[in-house]
Amino acid sequence: MSNSAIDVPSRGGFSFDLCRRNDMLAKKGVNLPSFRKTGTTIVGLIFQDGVILGADTRATEGPIVCDKNCEKIHYMAPNIYCCGAGTAADTEAVTDMVSSQLQLHRYHTGRESRVVTALTLLKKHLFNYQGYVQAALVLGGVDCTGPHLHTIYPHGSTDTLPFATMGSGSLAAMAMFESKYKEGLTKDEGIQLVVDAICSGIFNDLGSGSNVDVCVITKGHKEYLRNHLLPNPRTFVNAKGYSFPKKTEVLLTKITPLRERVEVVEGGDAMEE
Amino acid sequence: MGDSQYSFSLTTFSPSGKLVQIEHALTAVGSGQTSLGIKASNGVVIATEKKLPSILVDESSVHKIQSLTPNIGVVYSGMGPDFRVLVRKSRKQAEQYHRLYKEPIPVTQLVRETAAVMQEFTQSGGVRPFGVSLLVAGYDDKGPQLYQVDPSGSYFSWKASAMGKNVSNAKTFLEKRYVEEMELDDAVHTAILTLKEGFEGQISEKNIEIGIIGEKKEFRVLTPNEIRDYLAEVE
Repeated sequence: MSNSAIDVPSRGGFSFDLCRRNDMLAKKGVNLPSFRKTGTTIVGLIFQDGVILGADTRATEGPIVCDKNCEKIHYMAPNIYCCGAGTAADTEAVTDMVSSQLQLHRYHTGRESRVVTALTLLKKHLFNYQGYVQAALVLGGVDCTGPHLHTIYPHGSTDTLPFATMGSGSLAAMAMFESKYKEGLTKDEGIQLVVDAICSGIFNDLGSGSNVDVCVITKGHKEYLRNHLLPNPRTFVNAKGYSFPKKTEVLLTKITPLRERVEVVEGGDAMEE
Repeated sequence: MGDSQYSFSLTTFSPSGKLVQIEHALTAVGSGQTSLGIKASNGVVIATEKKLPSILVDESSVHKIQSLTPNIGVVYSGMGPDFRVLVRKSRKQAEQYHRLYKEPIPVTQLVRETAAVMQEFTQSGGVRPFGVSLLVAGYDDKGPQLYQVDPSGSYFSWKASAMGKNVSNAKTFLEKRYVEEMELDDAVHTAILTLKEGFEGQISEKNIEIGIIGEKKEFRVLTPNEIRDYLAEVE
């Protein structure tokens, strides 16, 4: 007699049972612990010689800024970089994993990695997890077929665009791009536009802040400008320092040096083969 | 010899305490093309004969020396297809190590893991041992290193070693010629001379392959032009 209450284990694939349980618990008021989200403004644009990526550097845990200077532009290949928004652990793990896969692929083919390869590896992974891996990415690079810029959404859909923004500050940044972007920008114009877009996100979005990171990728060359702009310096540092009035009273000072309990004998017999 | 009754199954010891399949694998290695490696004071060189079955084969498509990581390279004697499989596995293991520890894999670790793979195939059902011996050359913080890995899964660190058809002559030659303070360029010359010893026919940049790794810790295979220059210096 088959007992219909027994759950037959599913054949292969990821099991989403615990996700259903989590949703059920959330409805009853038991929430997941808050995890570190990057909040974020990330942008990318294509200029005449290649691709420029930009990102802010604030990481948030709910209402708290947990990292004032985190790195959101991740290395994928010598000619491909990826900005990540969403859950910080997810973006880091997924870019790390695909970067590893691209390295192996480079060894096997003996060729430079292509941006579409990175794109397909990422979207396949994200689609497999049905959006539970919360990583929204802006992927950019220059390969033998030219410069490419893509956005990847957590559920696995992708867009190919000449300029793109993602994250909570994406609307503020996109406003800058839509008004000032044109084809055939020079490198300096491109960097300035990216900086303007990120700054717009930094100042107008709560989830983005601190500094601006920029990465310029051209054929055969890349420049990773970490903290290219620091528009939020810490002002008003008290030069006198802080003095706290009431200290703990020291009653007694006694120092006991530790005795060596183990004798080390040099030499001795080597272990048997 | 009573051993032949025990040579059908890999996982059975013979009365003399040997695994006959591994002996046969070593024979397969011994009939492969000669390859050798020399550890210098500031680097390692590995080299091999590249005798192709016909003059019609495109020699630029044959790569007998492969890199496993940016600072570790490998050459083999024996069966080419088995080598390809081992290279793929080793590259993946090196990459997994890097993902886990975020540091480039030390040469000893990679050799150990490759040897473990080769040993697995001597203690499993329905598989045969790999018919290759590898010479792994690498440069990490412990300095330049050269390891030989056998089909049984045992590995040894060498200052200079050879494998394949001409192994005894080559090793005698290396024993005479090896000096502790040798520099990388001298080592390349010695390697070429050693290959020349047992070479059938005319040695040229098209029928040998040489890989080097120096203090910059970047393994690379020499281009035919560079080999031609070294050959000219040796003449």
